Amino acid sequence: MFRIRITKRKEPRGWSSFLVLTAAVALSLALSGLLLALGGTPPLDGLAVLFKGAYGSRFAIEDCLVKAIPIFLCSLGVAVAFRLQVWNIGAEGQFALGAVGASWVALTFPGLPSPFMLPAMIAMAVLAGGLWGMVPAILRQHFRTNEIIVTLMLNYIAILFLDYLVYGVWKDPTSFGFPMTSEFSPQAVVGRIGTTGVNWGLAHCLVLGTAVWVFIRFTRLGYELKAAGDSVRAARYAGIPYDRLVVLVMVISGALAGWAGFLEASATINRLQPTIMVGYGYTAIVVAWLARLNPLAIGVASFLLAGLRVGVENLQLDLQVPAAFGGILEGLILLTVLAGGFFNLYRFSVRRA
Amino acid sequence: MTGQPPLIRLAGISKSFGDVHANRDITLDIEEGRILALLGENGAGKSTLMSILAGQLQPDSGTIFLQGSPIVLSTTDRAIGAGIGMVYQHFKLVEAMTVAENIQLGHAGGMWLSWPKIHEEVRDLAAQYGMKVDPAARIGSLSMGEKQQVEILKLLHRRSRILIFDEPTAVLTPHEAENLFATMKLMVGQGKAIVFISHKLEEVMAIADSIAILRRGEVVDRVAAAAVSSSAELAERMVGREVLLQVDRQPLEPRQIVLKAEQLDGAGLHAVDLELRQGEILGIVGVAGNGQKPLVEMICGLCPPPAGTIRLLGMEWRKFFADQQWDLALSYIPEDRQGLATCQGLDLLDNFLLTTRGGFVRGPWLQRALADEKAARLIRDFDIRPPNLQALAWQLSGGNLQKMVLAREFYRKPRLIVAEQPTQGLDIAATEDVWKLLLEAREQAGILLVTGDLAEAMALSDRIAVMFEGRIVATFSTDDGEYVARIPQMMAGLEPDV
Repeated sequence: MFRIRITKRKEPRGWSSFLVLTAAVALSLALSGLLLALGGTPPLDGLAVLFKGAYGSRFAIEDCLVKAIPIFLCSLGVAVAFRLQVWNIGAEGQFALGAVGASWVALTFPGLPSPFMLPAMIAMAVLAGGLWGMVPAILRQHFRTNEIIVTLMLNYIAILFLDYLVYGVWKDPTSFGFPMTSEFSPQAVVGRIGTTGVNWGLAHCLVLGTAVWVFIRFTRLGYELKAAGDSVRAARYAGIPYDRLVVLVMVISGALAGWAGFLEASATINRLQPTIMVGYGYTAIVVAWLARLNPLAIGVASFLLAGLRVGVENLQLDLQVPAAFGGILEGLILLTVLAGGFFNLYRFSVRRA
Repeated sequence: MTGQPPLIRLAGISKSFGDVHANRDITLDIEEGRILALLGENGAGKSTLMSILAGQLQPDSGTIFLQGSPIVLSTTDRAIGAGIGMVYQHFKLVEAMTVAENIQLGHAGGMWLSWPKIHEEVRDLAAQYGMKVDPAARIGSLSMGEKQQVEILKLLHRRSRILIFDEPTAVLTPHEAENLFATMKLMVGQGKAIVFISHKLEEVMAIADSIAILRRGEVVDRVAAAAVSSSAELAERMVGREVLLQVDRQPLEPRQIVLKAEQLDGAGLHAVDLELRQGEILGIVGVAGNGQKPLVEMICGLCPPPAGTIRLLGMEWRKFFADQQWDLALSYIPEDRQGLATCQGLDLLDNFLLTTRGGFVRGPWLQRALADEKAARLIRDFDIRPPNLQALAWQLSGGNLQKMVLAREFYRKPRLIVAEQPTQGLDIAATEDVWKLLLEAREQAGILLVTGDLAEAMALSDRIAVMFEGRIVATFSTDDGEYVARIPQMMAGLEPDV
């Protein structure tokens, strides 16, 4: 008789943790291949079409970058909250509020001169997203509510509020009944970089990503986040204002998601409409975990998961695979990576019973 | 005595964690129909010993005999199979499930359960031992005393013969405690063996048949309860008299007052007055759980005093903690090094910065390079092993972690130090180092030393305050022989009518 013993690792895994990550992603691809086969699609062809659709052409890569921008910003935000072990599942709603905030500026003051327009839109988006993030933080610290539930529920409120606006008060009278606002004036639109299809939001990502990295790595507050994320009791012992930190990370988190909402409304669709909500805020959670909350890795993972979205569109066109396949693959990746984390913490040994 | 082997015999049990001997050559008999009380301070090795009995830890050496034949308790299942059951201080119950469901949990058996039958079994069992528990009641709706009864019923239902109670009365009202004792008497009457772990001397005197006292991992005394005349005698046996170490303590001229507490009340304290001056060590002694913890938490700013005033370094409590300086102020060296004083998942540099970060900031920036330099020097000076700032806190042994905490706290040049069980779990050499450090620090600071080790209090303190049931029974100079002789009596609550 052999028995498998599971023991906690004394030393953290080194480079081999990368191997675990690769194995996890490979497993999720294998499982999704199986799923394709069950649906009657040859799995290898299917995956090939997926990858070609995502990264096979300049147009595809540009599309990946465009989709990676909001995912990156939302993910950057949730990663800051996750560092403190505050589980912000509300990037989706904070994103929606950011888009609403930016649109309010663009629609209310369409004549604002261009040097003021974009900064005002950003300020409003950050404010709206940040406040939306602050609500669950305050509820958590004052009334001991569970932030996972509250942020999740606030998503629905935010999205329905957005719907209410575009179906009602903000609806463009010339839209033939479609739920959308009128198009933003030109100075309210973030332009494209040169002749590419990628907008200047990419530059925003670089600046904000660097800023967050510098913040968590080199500032006193960043250190306090790290310490409080490891042990709340030790943080209180050391006089770290934990309650205030929770509010701070949720505001940063919401502000970044709000900024993403601004970019999506301004640069990608040039107006506010319900199709702005495609689940970037949820993908951001997968990305943050894949990247282990590291800002640079979040950049890479955002690009990869954006590729998944682009590739699945291709799969849908070429092989008639349902669009839900993308969501399933994304979920599988998250599950296998989370399960893989077990191998980083524990070791297995086989011994005779 | 009866010629029959005891139900359980522990023979020469030893267990070490790194350089710390948690249990050293422990030999104990647990006999049928008797209550054995285990007495000892926190960290004396009681929990380790009981974890070994419950199959959670394996002894490094020694043998356990069940009715005369050796057994190996390699898993918790085997311990349960041998009839050993434990009632933990923190109950292991599923709040959302009923009494009967909790009792049935973990039972092997067929696929089908007959709830009416289980309910009846539980009701019979409860009646047999004088307990009143409704099998259909939800755990969440029960009082602490009732929950404990469910824990006991769990063990009885699986026919445990050796029941271990870990500080069972800590969560009970006095009335509930009386009921528990009645139940325990009934159980030993039925031939069960009971191990009773407690800090409360009166209870031990009231209920135990025999008493074993643990100190620093060893059984230092074993007496029949009938042979002990009073709880004061028990306290005396518990704190002991032997001096392990002698340090040279020159009295200093006490200077300005660094801590003044007046009429602290509530949270387990009753009218506590304290005064501490720079240049002196005030030892707070007493059996654990007599108010030391709330006192320390109030002084260190972890919770506000419900009533009364505390002034630290001449400042009012609220003001002091509102803008606490990182240096030249208060250092708290807590008993819980792992959970409170350090972040286990962070490296030594980050742990060094935990309380000293105020000294390494410029604007919003943290000066890591500078901190790295200073921390590296401290690691050399204090001989912390491994001498590596990248080591994570949980990888350090208890002694090295404590040295890390001390190095960090002394780096802050505190003027008030609260040291709680500073040498608990440390070996002799490390203890000596810590004592010397505290005596040196006394020149700059006033030190409040909270300890359960009387030898430590005597070696270090200039004055001693004895706590009992939230009150300070007496405060006196360590040189006052008459008072010092009566410390055990005071620890048992008797007034110092000297």
